[in-house]
Amino acid sequence: MQSKQALALLSIALCASVFAAGTTEDDALNLADTTKESAPVETSNWRLFTETTVGRTTVHQSGQPDTTEDTERLSFDLLVDKKLTPELRAVFSDRLDLTNQSEALGQKTLNSLKETYLSWQPENDRLLDVGRINVRYGAAMGYNPTDFFREGANRSITSFDPNAIRENRMGTAMLRGQTLWQGGALTAILAPKLADQPNNGDWSPDFGSTNNRNRWLVSVSHQLADNFNPQLVLYGDQRQPVQMGLNLSMLVNDATVAHVEWSGGRQKSLLAQALPLSPSVAQDEAFRNRLATGLTYTTASKLSITGEYHYNGAAVDKAVWNALRTSSTLDYANYRELIDEQLDLTTRQAAFVRASWLDALINRLDLTAVLRYNLDDHSKLSWMEARYRLDKSEVALQWLFAANDDTSDYGAMAQRRYIQALFRYYF
Amino acid sequence: MKPHQLSLFLLGVLLSACALAQGTPQPNAQAMLQASDAVRNPDKAFGVTVTLIEYRNGKQTDTSTLGSYAKSDVRSGQFRTLIRFVAPARDEGKLMLKNANDFWFYDPSSRASVRLSPQQRLMGQASNGDVVTVNLAKDYQAKIGLEEEIADGNRQMRHSTRLDLTASSPEATYNRIELWVDSANSQPLKARFFSESERLLKTVYYRRYQPQLGKERPTEMVIIDGLDAKWVTVMRYSDFVYRDVPDVWLQRDYLPNFKPE
Repeated sequence: MQSKQALALLSIALCASVFAAGTTEDDALNLADTTKESAPVETSNWRLFTETTVGRTTVHQSGQPDTTEDTERLSFDLLVDKKLTPELRAVFSDRLDLTNQSEALGQKTLNSLKETYLSWQPENDRLLDVGRINVRYGAAMGYNPTDFFREGANRSITSFDPNAIRENRMGTAMLRGQTLWQGGALTAILAPKLADQPNNGDWSPDFGSTNNRNRWLVSVSHQLADNFNPQLVLYGDQRQPVQMGLNLSMLVNDATVAHVEWSGGRQKSLLAQALPLSPSVAQDEAFRNRLATGLTYTTASKLSITGEYHYNGAAVDKAVWNALRTSSTLDYANYRELIDEQLDLTTRQAAFVRASWLDALINRLDLTAVLRYNLDDHSKLSWMEARYRLDKSEVALQWLFAANDDTSDYGAMAQRRYIQALFRYYF
Repeated sequence: MKPHQLSLFLLGVLLSACALAQGTPQPNAQAMLQASDAVRNPDKAFGVTVTLIEYRNGKQTDTSTLGSYAKSDVRSGQFRTLIRFVAPARDEGKLMLKNANDFWFYDPSSRASVRLSPQQRLMGQASNGDVVTVNLAKDYQAKIGLEEEIADGNRQMRHSTRLDLTASSPEATYNRIELWVDSANSQPLKARFFSESERLLKTVYYRRYQPQLGKERPTEMVIIDGLDAKWVTVMRYSDFVYRDVPDVWLQRDYLPNFKPE
């Protein structure tokens, strides 16, 4: 009798679950039935957004006690990308940052002419571009040894997320030709000298930062096998012998991508470049390697984590770095200035982690965290952001913290800590 | 004939009937899957607009619009797809390319092309695999499951054949799929997608059949999440058009140059 009762209860439970499944699927289909026809969305030739921030920053200046100041920023970012004829395309991109901050943190008004170029494509597989173009090479995320045109490209750094740093930078004036075939491409770039020195003028196009010497680049890539599409780069610069580069990213499994980015060539050390007249610094050229390699893993819950190891064979090693920090202040300052300008690694080795979680905890909320860790002096930079996406706008809260002593890689940053709220609106 | 001889004769007839029944050619499952693919996917390179509307707990929470350009690879027979984000404004101009198991993402703001894993998501609603064009017959081996009457996406009873698909290529996104197709014309009606651990990932209804590019094709997919049935994504297809999709478009190095008419 008991077994009959159990069987009856089991049957009821099974029926109920089947009924429940049917009901929920019906609910979903009913919901879909109520979906209105969407108005047609036209592709646009331009994008404009404005961004405003308010925050509090702990300002650090060497030899002085830290101070706290309130900062505000208003930015406008415009991108126009239009086909003038079927073969001719015009691209213009500009960003204006108006900042209320002390001189220690940077300029108050800064316009960055990011791109302005014409692209002529007489055939699908042949292109010729002329103008200021943001050319970016590199498979890695936190450090790009093959991104040879990064030097001097950032007039204004408004975020420490590497993605944002790339978005806000200026291109280089160049002539670029490209030919493509199925699975591959050959690109050649000539970037001439247009000015001698950087121009800090608020509205200057500042070609002196991006085009202060003659340079060229050739890259070739080809899909040699499924999942194997290496890119080789050759870079010429009148200041040094030809440099080589390699980019490769490969799928490890459904959730993991591995990448490696390498550059190498004969050149002077960065210390020699920063202190060309110093008798105690060897000025010889040697073959120096740079490397960034790592993995990106994505969970089923839309959390992507990238971990990278960075190596810079041209930078000072731990012993020289420790000596530089404690000896000449001027030499130390000159070295750091060169590193900032070249967006290079300060010392020999570093680690980088970036975690990005889409729709975290609640729908439309994205959380991002970045950690940079100098493996030679153990200083670190942490940056976190919570961003909520609305239909035409975004609100975000950002937090930065740089740790370690005054002369360490990240401890020496002027912005030691900040917290800021951000609002972005797309027109 | 003695009784035991009769019994033996009847047993023989029964066994022969069974053998014949087993030997009777069943409908060809793989051919039905191919026919079902041909209902969803035009036979030549084409463009289509995809609108995604996401619902959570009965409320619309997100929407986005994509332009899709798809072309079959002569070598593999599988589609290669280039997706252009049209809306919302923050994503305008972003591109995603799927070529075999290679996913590339291009952001015009940073001019960077980044390789993605199939699991990496670019949008909240659907997976990358959902928005690209796929010939299931190229990546899955089909077997006839069972013939049954099921309610289609319009809650109409249809005589259907359930095809049980198992991944047969490393490019297959799912471990196993149950696909119900109309027994008469192989129109896909419903599918259930399973992970390697046999977890139901999602249920999809194919509906709103309309004449598009010479055939009745589904113009709406209703995707119901396997864990949370109140997470529903409606994918609508519009503006089907045959169009030239040059091979050079469908590679990483072309992405910065892509600017459709």
